[in-house]
Amino acid sequence: MSLNPLTRKRLQRFRSIKRGYWSLILLALMLVLALVAELWVNGRALIVRYEGKTYFPTYGAIIPGDTFGEEYKYETNYRALKDRFAKEDRGNWVLMPLVPWGPQDSDFRPGVSHPQPPSGEHTHWLGTDVTGRDVLSRMVYGFRNVILFSLSYTLLTMFVAVVIGCLMGYLGGAVDLIGQRIVEIWANIPFLYIVMIGISLVPADVGTAPRILILLFIMVIFAWTTKAWFLRTATLKEKARDYVASARLAGAGPLRLIFRHILPNTISTLITFLPFTVAAGITALTALDFLNFGLPRPTPSWGEMLHVGLDNKDAQWIVLSAFGGLVSVLLLVTFVGEAVREAYDPRKFTTYR
Amino acid sequence: MNADLTVALTRRRALQLSAGAAAAAFTGCRQEERPFNYKPERAPLPEEAMEFFRRYPDFFVFSSPDKLPADLKWEDGAGVPELGDPAAKKGGTYYQYNPDFPRTLRFIGPDASGGFRKYILDSNALYLTRQHPETLQWYPELAAQWAFDPDGRTIYFKLDPAATFSDGVPVRADDYLFCFYFMRCNYTADLWYQQHYTDTFTRLVKFDDLTIALTMRDKKPDLLYKTSAARPVPVHFYLELADDWQEVYQWKFEPTTGAYEVRSENVDKGRRIVLTKVKNWWAADRKHMRYRFNVNRMSFVTIRDTNKAFEVFRKGEQDIFTMRLSEFWHRKMANDNPLVAAGYVEKAVFYNQIPRVTWGFSINRSRPLLKEKPVRQGIQFAMNWDVVLREVFKGDATRMQTSSDGYPEVTFPDIKTRGFDITAAEKCFMESGFTKRGPDGIFMNDKGERLSFTMTTGYKMFADVLTILKKEAVKAGVEFNLEIIEQTAAWKKSDEKKHDIFFGAKNVSVEMYPRFRETWHSSNAYKEDGSIKTDTNNETQTASKELDALIEAYEKADNMPEIVRLAREMMAWLNDDAAFVPAWVQDYYRVAHWRWMRFPKGFNARTSRDWEEYNLFWIDAEMKEETLRAMKEGRTFPPQIQTFDQWKERQA
Repeated sequence: MSLNPLTRKRLQRFRSIKRGYWSLILLALMLVLALVAELWVNGRALIVRYEGKTYFPTYGAIIPGDTFGEEYKYETNYRALKDRFAKEDRGNWVLMPLVPWGPQDSDFRPGVSHPQPPSGEHTHWLGTDVTGRDVLSRMVYGFRNVILFSLSYTLLTMFVAVVIGCLMGYLGGAVDLIGQRIVEIWANIPFLYIVMIGISLVPADVGTAPRILILLFIMVIFAWTTKAWFLRTATLKEKARDYVASARLAGAGPLRLIFRHILPNTISTLITFLPFTVAAGITALTALDFLNFGLPRPTPSWGEMLHVGLDNKDAQWIVLSAFGGLVSVLLLVTFVGEAVREAYDPRKFTTYR
Repeated sequence: MNADLTVALTRRRALQLSAGAAAAAFTGCRQEERPFNYKPERAPLPEEAMEFFRRYPDFFVFSSPDKLPADLKWEDGAGVPELGDPAAKKGGTYYQYNPDFPRTLRFIGPDASGGFRKYILDSNALYLTRQHPETLQWYPELAAQWAFDPDGRTIYFKLDPAATFSDGVPVRADDYLFCFYFMRCNYTADLWYQQHYTDTFTRLVKFDDLTIALTMRDKKPDLLYKTSAARPVPVHFYLELADDWQEVYQWKFEPTTGAYEVRSENVDKGRRIVLTKVKNWWAADRKHMRYRFNVNRMSFVTIRDTNKAFEVFRKGEQDIFTMRLSEFWHRKMANDNPLVAAGYVEKAVFYNQIPRVTWGFSINRSRPLLKEKPVRQGIQFAMNWDVVLREVFKGDATRMQTSSDGYPEVTFPDIKTRGFDITAAEKCFMESGFTKRGPDGIFMNDKGERLSFTMTTGYKMFADVLTILKKEAVKAGVEFNLEIIEQTAAWKKSDEKKHDIFFGAKNVSVEMYPRFRETWHSSNAYKEDGSIKTDTNNETQTASKELDALIEAYEKADNMPEIVRLAREMMAWLNDDAAFVPAWVQDYYRVAHWRWMRFPKGFNARTSRDWEEYNLFWIDAEMKEETLRAMKEGRTFPPQIQTFDQWKERQA
């Protein structure tokens, strides 16, 4: 694939901004690690070797305890199983992930009181929260939730903004006029309140996944306005350019005009928005979770951890973890955002410097 | 107080504690539509009320003193011991917080049964007579004397001639007559009170301005208790009752017979409300009142968040804080906390003897899968209370066994609720067609339906309890989806009977024997046309002919052995039916208080639900000054961590 020379230049420029570049790499790495979190932070074992057979419980359906000679039919407690196998010493073994706690697993072993400060002894590297769940595990899964949510939020917002902004700018006239008024009104509705009201109206029998989708949609509905505004202006500007007129003379239809000619030239304005939209998504979801209007409990979430942490300031490791995680991710995203903006700064490439 | 439960003797919903303070402020902004004419002087009964009385000539009887039976044996509670501590110091301000600003100052009608009601009504206004919270004998409040009629349903009361409302107007028999009109007229339209004052009583006789007789529909062993709660409603305050009464009286404080009143200048809507001692309170020197109601002002600031309120307490801006939650008692205000170790803050546990608040789960039987008894029983078996009691309550609570624990005469140790038992749960679920576990370990039936239910609650402070139950229940193959929402929204949902499983608590009155109709009778579950009846306390939608018959017989029963027999039968039935999952009981309350807040020697009264109920505490201004000075200078006092278990119920 050959890149447009301008784009190549921008990429080069981006790469030369070390802080942003490394932030992006770090973020990407974190995302990949979070996506495969089950492999290194999990209450389920990686491999179980039992009576000559090998099991890989990480993904898929639960394996009931009686499979491994336990007395129960619910999901195997692999940590206990590991201890048992070690004691029996019959060649059976369990390989646990690095952090042997799932985000919902409470550590109710006798003699461990909660919240437990960070300690290697109980394998709680960042301590536990008030119900004995591992803070590190909830941090990792909370990160995965918030970043995936935020990325979907960004993509959806951009999509809506592009469609509406392009239509307004390209069609102009009445569509533009009405669109502008709608955007003006829409942009003035206090978004957080509407999300709260909207979420509390969702009936309780709606499951977790649709609930998250509803939350996502409500947030997107209120986030597209500013971006659409920018795109409208950009489209309006591009539409009047000679190359658009010549394309039209050559017989291009409106769809071709928009997608092949105008959009590639306007989209760059939006690219600079991307990282900041991601950051906004993270902040918004965390704020909502903090206020108990976001993801349903007990989904691991940074907002909920912040809340629990602030309620239990004596267990500083909870609030410090959540706060530290939030600040570092937001910082990384902002560094990336800065670099992107810098790389896309038109003044760098114009002769009128 | 969010965490501590409030008293309500004639109240249907006691625990609607926290709701929008914003909503309160909002309703408060409403403009009054007509001027409020009110003069603090006795007024004759309005014509509309007289007409109402004439309509029920058998109920409202205007008689004369010579018709009073001659052979009545008048009682006056003379031998009943005093309450409180003679050493109590008068004066000062008591600082406390409210999780929610009161939404109205009315005593009846919408929003009137909020958490603030106990301060302005239940623990404040006087009854005719009241049961001594230690000896359980009766002492006089508004009635100076009382006598039982041989018919077993009627009591005569002679009002204390000195009794006055807070505006100086004397209390007279007309105020009792007016009470019945007020509660039953169409303006106020509070269904519970309307029903109560229509069905519970059958006659009210006025002999003269100071003598009345009240007759109950049924013979009851606790006749005096049931009649004493009738409240004098000041005629002169409600001369202009009309359809807009709710709005007109929204923020008008009805003149009270009690020690504290709300003056309009002390209402800072949404922020702070201050009760002040009534000037020259008529009962201040009465034997059973003189060492109580000690402080001059009670100041309540609105703080929505428990932990924020705790910070304010730690700064000394509140005098006391409930330590009901283990995290406060064991961690946030532990015995080695600098404030406690230095003796500035004292800790106390007080064991009381009262019917226990019904923390538990109401399973809605009008939901498809929950109709099945085995499913409900299985759900009970799937709840791991051992872990909850150990991990969340740190062993500070025990499991509740029935839907009505804590009535000494109506206790059946052989009726036990179901504990965590995976095998038993599995058996129950199999029995109702849930034969195989899905890939996530949750049971499914042939139709592919999963055993998955929503658990709704407004009690965010117990989110941990539900989280643990959810996690553990998966082992038994049932899934609970948690819905932890705002108090008002949660109660609304249960009022509309839209929940699967509702977690909450209802306060119960200190009575001899429990009530069943409100929570279990079919008339509180379905309307006559078979549609669901909303806004009742039957949150399980229980509607059984068999149980209805028992409830009706129970309400007619006139002697204790019969009442006990029927109560036992009903409790066994309910236990088997498993629509209510009893949660936990705590047979004590515990607090941390600054050392200048003082209590009587035994800390509090036997049947008190919280430290405020009988107003026995006082604020020692000198000690406050001394303590604050000591804190500045770094001087300390011996730490005080006390347990008062003189009323603890010992295991037999």
